[in-house]
Amino acid sequence: MSWVTVIWAMIASACLTLALVHVLVWLRGREAYANLLFAFTAFGTAGFAGCELWMMRAESPVEFGTALRWTHVPVWVLIVSLVGFVRFYLQAGRAWLAWTVCGVRTFSLILDFIFSPNLNYRELSGLQQVPFLGETVAIADGVRNPWMLLGHLSLLLLMIFVLDAAITVWKRGDRRRAAMVGGSIAFFVIAAAMEAILSIWGIIHVPITASPFFMVTVAAMSYELSQNVLRAERLSSDLRDSQQRMALATSAANLGLWVWEVSKDEIWMTDKGRALFGFAPETRLDYATLLSRVHPEDRPMRDAALKRAIQTKDEYAMEYRALLPDGTLRWIAARGKCINDSDGKGNRLFGVSMDVTAQNQAQERFRLVVEASPNGIILVDEQGRIVLVNASAEELFGYGREDLVGQAVELLVPENLRGVHPDHRAGFHAAPAARAMGAGRELFARRKDGTEIPVEIGISPIQSPEGTLVLSVVVDISARKQAEAEATQHLKELAYLSRVAIMGEMAGSLAHELNQPLGAIVTNAGAALRFLERDNLSGEKLQEVLQDIAADGRRAAEVIRTMKGMGRKETGARQLLNLNDVIAESLRLTRSEALAHHCTVVTELHPALPKVDANLVQIQEVFLNLILNAFEASDELPTDRRRVIIGTERDGDSAVRASVRDFGIGLPGDLPERVFDRFFSTKREGMGIGLFIARSIANAHAGTLLAENAEGGGARFWLRLPTSKETRV
Amino acid sequence: MTLADRLVYVVDDDPSMLKAIGRLLESEDYAVEMFTSAREFLGRAAHNGPTCVVLDLNMPELNGLELQEALAKMGRTEWVIFITGGASVATCVQAMKAGAVDYLPKPFEEEDLLRAVERALERSSEQWLQRLQRKEVRDRVATLTPREFDVLKSVIAGMLNKQIAAQFGTTEGTIKVHRGRVMQKMGVASVAELVVLAQRAGIAPTSSL
Repeated sequence: MSWVTVIWAMIASACLTLALVHVLVWLRGREAYANLLFAFTAFGTAGFAGCELWMMRAESPVEFGTALRWTHVPVWVLIVSLVGFVRFYLQAGRAWLAWTVCGVRTFSLILDFIFSPNLNYRELSGLQQVPFLGETVAIADGVRNPWMLLGHLSLLLLMIFVLDAAITVWKRGDRRRAAMVGGSIAFFVIAAAMEAILSIWGIIHVPITASPFFMVTVAAMSYELSQNVLRAERLSSDLRDSQQRMALATSAANLGLWVWEVSKDEIWMTDKGRALFGFAPETRLDYATLLSRVHPEDRPMRDAALKRAIQTKDEYAMEYRALLPDGTLRWIAARGKCINDSDGKGNRLFGVSMDVTAQNQAQERFRLVVEASPNGIILVDEQGRIVLVNASAEELFGYGREDLVGQAVELLVPENLRGVHPDHRAGFHAAPAARAMGAGRELFARRKDGTEIPVEIGISPIQSPEGTLVLSVVVDISARKQAEAEATQHLKELAYLSRVAIMGEMAGSLAHELNQPLGAIVTNAGAALRFLERDNLSGEKLQEVLQDIAADGRRAAEVIRTMKGMGRKETGARQLLNLNDVIAESLRLTRSEALAHHCTVVTELHPALPKVDANLVQIQEVFLNLILNAFEASDELPTDRRRVIIGTERDGDSAVRASVRDFGIGLPGDLPERVFDRFFSTKREGMGIGLFIARSIANAHAGTLLAENAEGGGARFWLRLPTSKETRV
Repeated sequence: MTLADRLVYVVDDDPSMLKAIGRLLESEDYAVEMFTSAREFLGRAAHNGPTCVVLDLNMPELNGLELQEALAKMGRTEWVIFITGGASVATCVQAMKAGAVDYLPKPFEEEDLLRAVERALERSSEQWLQRLQRKEVRDRVATLTPREFDVLKSVIAGMLNKQIAAQFGTTEGTIKVHRGRVMQKMGVASVAELVVLAQRAGIAPTSSL
């Protein structure tokens, strides 16, 4: 076999193979026009190669003429398909130029079959045998047909068209394609055309061998298209990935996806979706099958929503219950969209279904918790409208919830505060933070019947899609108030009992304190009478005696007044007191006790002590308790060491403090504070309420009563009281 | 011995009470000395004459009972009248046992106090009188010779001259002379008088019988 036969046959077969491949590609996807057009180009090239071989092997001028005439057919196919390929594949090139190229070339083809023997020759005179690739091939001799210039023109126009298109693509930025497709087409078509033209005009003595050049163009185009195949492969792989990711995401989110082909009544559904509704993976699904899994009560609603979506080509969203054959009830949140495909498949409904049973249960639980709360719960929006109330709130306020929801929250505010309440609300929204309402003030809530009850209200902001809501928790504290009042009353009575106990303890001492002045009075009066009897009483002396009597009378009255105060349940109002005076009076009352316990009392009183605003009887009760305790604590000591030190001092600018210190065994080392516990007593006959009461009295005066073990032994009690604002400078 | 020698002490830490009591006693013309504490009172030298103390039971530092005790330890014999503003029966009993003359709760009738003071002073006077007499007897006894003292003890034991002479191994005449001197020195005329004096001076009789 000769080289010419081998090469041209290979060109033809290669082109045919490529053509067939791309025809198959086009058959798969009817939109792949570029592949179809490429196939035509390849067919054309193959035909062209065949014709060239035919010409080279021609044995007579007639046969050569016939071969050349038929050569124009594959050339036409080649050129027209090239134009189409450029238009479709590169999306470039001027349409009028394309049509002109095709028109001129078609006209050339027509002329080719009109003229005899063909477009190129008027007549063929003979054949020359020329050497080519190591053998001899035929080239023609004859009169050239000037109409063949029309064919040349079509080639020129094709060049212009392709170059123009390549430039457009280049400018668009796709330089690779411009060079690869536009450049190679232009270059090799020029090369092929020049070779053919020069050969036909007899300028060079070689056979027409343009097909190898076209072959290169075809190869370039094929390479380019194969790039597309590779890209498509990558795309499909990407698509697989994204499908997997989607499947993973939908599975993780408990999402079921489905598509309903409305016209075919076929439903495709992901496995997850099938699991959601209790379908086996292979079950064929249609609309009725799916609807059968919807809770009967929710079926009409779902049906209506889907039909509306199909009618309006719009989306739908809803929640419904799915009832599975095994009785499981699921809450499904569904969204979907109807799409009308332009490819004539009709309406398709894409849907997403999600299992929201857990969320709904949580919501339901939340609702139950709110509803079951023993405290009133009221949710109020930014405009002050009630959004939600619970059963306790209904009971607390005496309204039904239908009376409350939507109403201004001021309905529940006492009338005298309704005016300012909106400002308070605005203030809260300006700085929303969870806190107790009212900042220490006593709050009241207004019931439907107009009565007001004491309440405590905690408010916290809740951010929601509707803006900031205010959650108010309302606690009815009537019972607590009542209990507090009772506790106060109990404390009062306990304090009274404690005072009575002290009085009992001091009975002897008090009698002494009273008898002392009374005795002096009686004695003085007796003496005066005797002086009188003897006529031995000067006016001066009488005056002296009477003054003494009056002083003792006052002294007795003072003791009686204190005793009366201590013996009363009500302790009277507060007054300005100097603690030094209270201490002096307490020491006088306990003088006999000090003697009985052989205790020496030492006072270290601040000479200019600021006054306190306090209740005399109560403060005296505190001091009497502390002093009597100190005496008793001293009993264990030898008599010469029994001392009690009582002092007062300023404590900063706004307080004074008094201390009572003994030298006894001191406080329980582990828990000094235990002495303030109720019913804690180390005394044999003590009730154990003295210090407990003393501390509660100190606290009621905004003061403190503390105990410590003093250095050098014994206990020291500190009573600290704020000074009266009236006496502070 | 006259009434002017009598003195009343008042001890009370309550100044107004102290003053009132003092005033009452003065209205009856008693000589009164007043003290506001037991220590002050103890610092004062003992009065040489009939005296009594009106003592407040409840006082700081040294109370009435302790003062009474202190006085006894010092050998002072002041009669004590307690006054108290409110003390228990126990203290009262203790005070009486320790030799208090009286115990008056405040407020007391001034008559009661005055009567108690008078009674105490009378007893004190009596005591003083006895003390004086005993001193006189002792002074006389001191003039006797040892032999005369022995004879005195035998005489008041009721022994006869003959018996005494036999005891001392001497003659009845000698004893008679001694006996006469004893009677003379002691300033008595009869054996009965001698017995009373000896008794008052605390001289014990001796008898070999």
